Amino acid sequence: MFERFTEEARNTVVLAQQEARELHAGHIGTEHLLLGLVGQGGTPVADVLDRHGLDRASTIRAIARLTGDAALDADALGAVGIDLDAVRERVEATFGPGALDAPGPGRGRAQSGHIPFTPRAKKVLELSLREAVALKSKSIGDGHILLGVLREGDGLAMKVISERGIDAATLRQEVTSALRS
Amino acid sequence: MADTAQVATAASSKDPSVGLKAVRSLRTLVERLEALQVDNARDQGWTWEQIAQQLGVTRQAVHKKYAAGRGLLRRKD
Repeated sequence: MFERFTEEARNTVVLAQQEARELHAGHIGTEHLLLGLVGQGGTPVADVLDRHGLDRASTIRAIARLTGDAALDADALGAVGIDLDAVRERVEATFGPGALDAPGPGRGRAQSGHIPFTPRAKKVLELSLREAVALKSKSIGDGHILLGVLREGDGLAMKVISERGIDAATLRQEVTSALRS
Repeated sequence: MADTAQVATAASSKDPSVGLKAVRSLRTLVERLEALQVDNARDQGWTWEQIAQQLGVTRQAVHKKYAAGRGLLRRKD
């Protein structure tokens, strides 16, 4: 399937993997695909998302909020006089970024090598192929990946999008016309 | 920066949900710091005995809690 990907679509997947690694996620989820889409900057699809207020920074913040470390609540710690950000800063200075995050499957040591896609992210990539076929496109572009996210409809990326107040149908239309241009 | 007076009020809040959430987060914070420090100590060649002593627990306790993730079976990456 990847051989039919355009350069932007390939970059999306490569970036998604980088983001997953940097965030110590242990998997590549739909949220990382979304980061791959917005992270390229300057592509028509990234521009569409940017117009809705989704750039890399805002997407990362939204993901952090949604996956929220319920067990480590900065506000609650602030209530007893502990500045979690200050603690995090010092710990990360010694042990590296993400050191204080919840230990996940891929965590520990420097994460390297293969990070698996979540079933949902795989599904999104499969759906991107279907979207490309439906739009009679010979190749799969980054826009088709976004359409796959919207079609799948349940991933964390979708939650980020709807939390932003973006209407899925509107976005679908905008992406489709961006793909045509 | 959080308003100091506001933080002080929250700290002395009688609302159990505020206080209990803080306790839970403190416990989590301690767990994560402990795991980091134990890992670091083992990397630097400390024995379980030495680590346990610093933590004020028995060697068995610290070994049972952390040894499983280490050793020959690990380091596949």
